[in-house]
Amino acid sequence: MTALLRRPAALLGLLLVATHLVVAISAPWIAPFAPTSLLDAPLEPPNATYWLGTDDLGRDAFSRLLWGGRVAMLVAFAAGAVAVLGGALLGLFAAHRRGSFDDVLMRLVEMKLAVPTILFVAIFVTGFGQSVPVLIVAVGIIQMMGVVRTTRAAGIVLMEQGYVRAAQLNGESGATIILRELLPNVADLMAVEFALRASSALLLVSALSFLGLGISPPTPDWGLMVEDGMALLESEPALVLAPALCIATLVLGINLAAEGLSDALGLDAARGGGG
Amino acid sequence: MISLVLRRGALSLVTLFLLASFIFFATEVLPGDALDVSLSADEIAMMPPEVLARRRAELGLDRPILERYTSFLGGLLRFDLGRTIITRAPVADIVAMPLRNSVALAGLTLLLALPVALAIAMAAAQAKGRLLDNAVSGAAIIGYSIPEFVTGLLLIAVFAVWWPLFPATITASTDDPLSVLLAAAPLAVATTIIGSIAYLGRILRVGLIEVMAADFVERLHLSGIPRWRILWLHALPAAMIPGLSAAALYAASLVSGVVVVELVFAYPGIGAELVRAVTRREVHVVQAIALAAAVCVVLFNLAADLGIVALDPRTRRS
Repeated sequence: MTALLRRPAALLGLLLVATHLVVAISAPWIAPFAPTSLLDAPLEPPNATYWLGTDDLGRDAFSRLLWGGRVAMLVAFAAGAVAVLGGALLGLFAAHRRGSFDDVLMRLVEMKLAVPTILFVAIFVTGFGQSVPVLIVAVGIIQMMGVVRTTRAAGIVLMEQGYVRAAQLNGESGATIILRELLPNVADLMAVEFALRASSALLLVSALSFLGLGISPPTPDWGLMVEDGMALLESEPALVLAPALCIATLVLGINLAAEGLSDALGLDAARGGGG
Repeated sequence: MISLVLRRGALSLVTLFLLASFIFFATEVLPGDALDVSLSADEIAMMPPEVLARRRAELGLDRPILERYTSFLGGLLRFDLGRTIITRAPVADIVAMPLRNSVALAGLTLLLALPVALAIAMAAAQAKGRLLDNAVSGAAIIGYSIPEFVTGLLLIAVFAVWWPLFPATITASTDDPLSVLLAAAPLAVATTIIGSIAYLGRILRVGLIEVMAADFVERLHLSGIPRWRILWLHALPAAMIPGLSAAALYAASLVSGVVVVELVFAYPGIGAELVRAVTRREVHVVQAIALAAAVCVVLFNLAADLGIVALDPRTRRS
């Protein structure tokens, strides 16, 4: 942790993420207006009452901005958790078991690499409908495939270690070896993966919301706000630029923290998260 | 060599088969059938049961799932993508031109972004650890942290609204020749290129730095060959290999990026078609777009794989 705090870029990243988290959590108390209430004053320019003005329906843009990261962050962090936990267990199981299970899993991972993420979620949304749980599962599964690859690779190296051999000779069960010997040794990797997956999940969710395939209105959401405000770019640029800036700074924050974390832990993070 | 090419080709076919199956089962089987998802609950409640049953029979939805699956796969082999549920138009006709436009946008992006990314990566690798390198790394991390639709809107705000050099959205239509279409879309092309350069440049920089740390580079260095010469004549060809695999891995992300950018600029590609199809629950159109995109990505990956085999003698062993 101290190694992480000594890196200025990582520190900046952590600060950005912390700020966004604090704002998102405290939005119900600090937002001047309810994010969905129609204030009967559409398209007000930014002023003392409405700091960022109001949108075409007369909702306070600043309040919506404070609320706008909540659902996206929930989906991104939940999907990141699904991806890292599921991916690590699958990857380590494949590393331990090898054989045909491993082969099939690797085929699936390769198959996923051929489906653009947005299309993958679009398929799920077509089949299962558009809702937050569907988004979490769909985004989580896509992100999981990358985690399977890295944890499997790490697991295969660990399987050759003396202590794993010793545990095997002791007659420990597969589950014990995976949970007690392998899993703790990929904890660093999982922490970095969690940050990388959460950041690309956030990019994906915002893009989906922007397309109208992600979080549904009237939920206040940055991606939706950008989409709504696009037509008003000329007259009320704040309606678009403020939520756009929020998405960018949050993703940047997570990425900087992830990069710092992986540097501090001596891992190789020079892999793309992949949008 | 030939057997290797055949094996890679066969693997790609297996991947495509798995993909087609996944796409079919995820969209058609799990929660009810295509009719349920294409009609709202109210519409279904309004319809007399015999009308509903007749429409099911018309669409072939009363057949058992395995039969539908085999006929779906059989249709694919004949390049028959089925018809839309509501208008009964052939799906292939709907998807063909937008797909052409999207492939052109993606292709032009890669063509322009790869050399720029390579040049930036080389400059950064040559100055490893110094100011230029740090600046490039910083710009790259900012570049891939900003979603494509934000980059696109920023470009519109600057170059179409405040300083009206280009049109904000594209006025060319779906069937226009590609030259007209792409010429009308400078900001869209710029948006996809910026994202691509950030992604590819970062990976190429790491590849080049790895190559520059290799033993053969050390040996060249000890024989007194200047660093820039090693970089250009020796490290660059070796770094083409990680470059190609980076480009292959990037292909799927590029398609996602293109889909979003198309919607920002009203570019007539598969992006707009996809959103329309998902919101109207046109299952066959979603399937066709997903499959078409997957085929493009798999083919591109195959080409990159074979390119790596051609460049790197080590991959030809075993």
